[in-house]
Amino acid sequence: MKKIFLLFISILFFFSACKKEEGCMEPTATNYNSEATLNSGDCNYAPITGCTDSTAINYLATATINDGSCEYLSLNINFKHYVDDIELIANEMIYTNPSNDNYSIQTLRYLISDITLHTNNGDETLLNEVHFIDISIDSTLILNIPQINYQNYTSISFTMGLDSIKNITNLFLNENFFPSFVWPEFLGGGYHYMQLEGDFNTVFNGYTTHTGGTNGIDFSFNKIFSITDITDININMEITNWYKNPEIFDLTTDGIMGDINKQTILKANGIEDVFSVN
Amino acid sequence: MKLGTYTFLWIILLFIFSCKKDLAPASGCTDSMAFNYNSLAITDDGSCSYEITNTMEGCMDSLAINYNSEATIENESCIYFSNTPYVIETPYGFPNMNIPSDNPMTVEGVALGKKLFKDPILSANNTQACINCHQQNFAFSDPKQFSTGIDNIQGVRNASALINIGWNTSFNWDGSSLTLEEQAFEPVTNEIEMHNDWNNVETTLNLHADYPTLFKEAFNIDYIDSNHIVKAISQFERTLISANSKLDRYLNNEEQLTISELNGYAIFNTEKGDCFHCHASQLFMDNQFHNNGLDIEPFLDLGRAKVTANASDNGKFKTPTLRNIEMSSPYMHDGRFTTLEEVVEHYDSGGKYSTTVDPLMKKLGIGLQLTNQEKIDLVAYLKTLTDHEFITQ
Repeated sequence: MKKIFLLFISILFFFSACKKEEGCMEPTATNYNSEATLNSGDCNYAPITGCTDSTAINYLATATINDGSCEYLSLNINFKHYVDDIELIANEMIYTNPSNDNYSIQTLRYLISDITLHTNNGDETLLNEVHFIDISIDSTLILNIPQINYQNYTSISFTMGLDSIKNITNLFLNENFFPSFVWPEFLGGGYHYMQLEGDFNTVFNGYTTHTGGTNGIDFSFNKIFSITDITDININMEITNWYKNPEIFDLTTDGIMGDINKQTILKANGIEDVFSVN
Repeated sequence: MKLGTYTFLWIILLFIFSCKKDLAPASGCTDSMAFNYNSLAITDDGSCSYEITNTMEGCMDSLAINYNSEATIENESCIYFSNTPYVIETPYGFPNMNIPSDNPMTVEGVALGKKLFKDPILSANNTQACINCHQQNFAFSDPKQFSTGIDNIQGVRNASALINIGWNTSFNWDGSSLTLEEQAFEPVTNEIEMHNDWNNVETTLNLHADYPTLFKEAFNIDYIDSNHIVKAISQFERTLISANSKLDRYLNNEEQLTISELNGYAIFNTEKGDCFHCHASQLFMDNQFHNNGLDIEPFLDLGRAKVTANASDNGKFKTPTLRNIEMSSPYMHDGRFTTLEEVVEHYDSGGKYSTTVDPLMKKLGIGLQLTNQEKIDLVAYLKTLTDHEFITQ
């Protein structure tokens, strides 16, 4: 009787010892059971946290919970101004133009519009619709774009001035270049593209190289440059080159805003080699 | 045992009797309709009273502007603070007016500001109001070259015309104030203007018969302070909008300009006269500072440089609007020119050289070389900027 009892107990032990432990056998799972010998197939995994925004630099494709760590591409565009390859010094009669006039630069203000980044496969990102640059206002010399889609950008394009779609009277009433950049309705309306002013020959002679779409003719032009560093871009203006190549432009005390021939020359010179990007 | 039982009953009896004493019949008003009805009274002693003796009807809500702390009966007369937004209609070709978020325009604020603007109460001896030097029929400017303050002392600059100043980004000829509110603080305490002090102004207004109510209605304040005084004045000043001149009506195809006016329009808006660069847009100003070649150095008045302490601003002054220019004589920061003809003559002469003269003054000493007829035309055009409604209403 006693033996039978012991046998019964041992069988019981035996069965219980042999019984396989069922559970999740995947160590990375939150319910991992280290004693399991049989995979139950119901492993739970912790959600992967990270940046879930595909436009960010540190986008994590496997992440399911955004932990607020996204970092975006921040871009600075610096506007730099040179005369004969040397950084501009304003208000001093120290320059000589291609027609041998001494001249100074007192005012330089202009509009750059439709600043756009491009990828090799034709994707575009518009950075800024219109930006006003005034050499006497430091804050206008840097355009910061705090958050842009991260892509493999290879070139930048922009328009000098405003194209005919944008160059409309009263379109930019609340921008910082209103009202000083207004181009009179009498001369076709819209806005100046550029006001480049100073003295030439003597301090008694002023010149005002003002460009714009006169009498309804669009004198804006578009430029595109390849880029390597996409976080810090310099758009450089070689001021002297407005006055040469292909055609020498003589400074004058007369106004040129209504002069289609002179606006045509300035546009041609401007497209040629006034701008560079690095 | 028997004795014990008796003692017990005796105590209970004593207890009941002592209780009965309290419940003894009372006298008082036994009429339940009376104000002083006593429900415990058994005998009426003739004291019944049927009216509340001390009553006052009124608004009993302390949040209401007409809260009456002595009221005992709520008569539902409470009025709560609400003011009426004053909507600025932006004229054609004007940007949005930049109104400070802490001073929204209200009908009550504008009306109060108008009253203050015309009230000499702001000056030390109760003789001079804002409107004395900013007279409406002179486009809110002073026909005198230099305004005279309460102590009969003259200033050194011509009082600015107050036209569309809600669109200005700085105030005074040198741009020394960046907001209208900031500007309005200044003349009240200026020794050669109203020569008052703000404590005195506040005391006077708080004791005034009307102002406390008007400030309450406009700003919901119980104590009138200088901040709210300048806020009200600024709200009124922002309503001084002029955009209904003959030129506006011409541009709106409602009225025709004469041949002479049209010639002037062309001179103004091309580089022949080159007026439009500074007197730009429908605002007829550019919110900037220029040296227009009035004087040679050294300058009697440094102008903008007094604010910036920058020598490159010497002799520069803020471009005034040309709207209503016919009415706001004399001209320039120092009121040196009495007529528009003199002004045109100045520009036609080309102006004088100084180190800070504006590059737009391109032909110094040579000038525009306008013919006499062209000068007449230009003046005729300038007079189309007069808004008769603005200077009369």
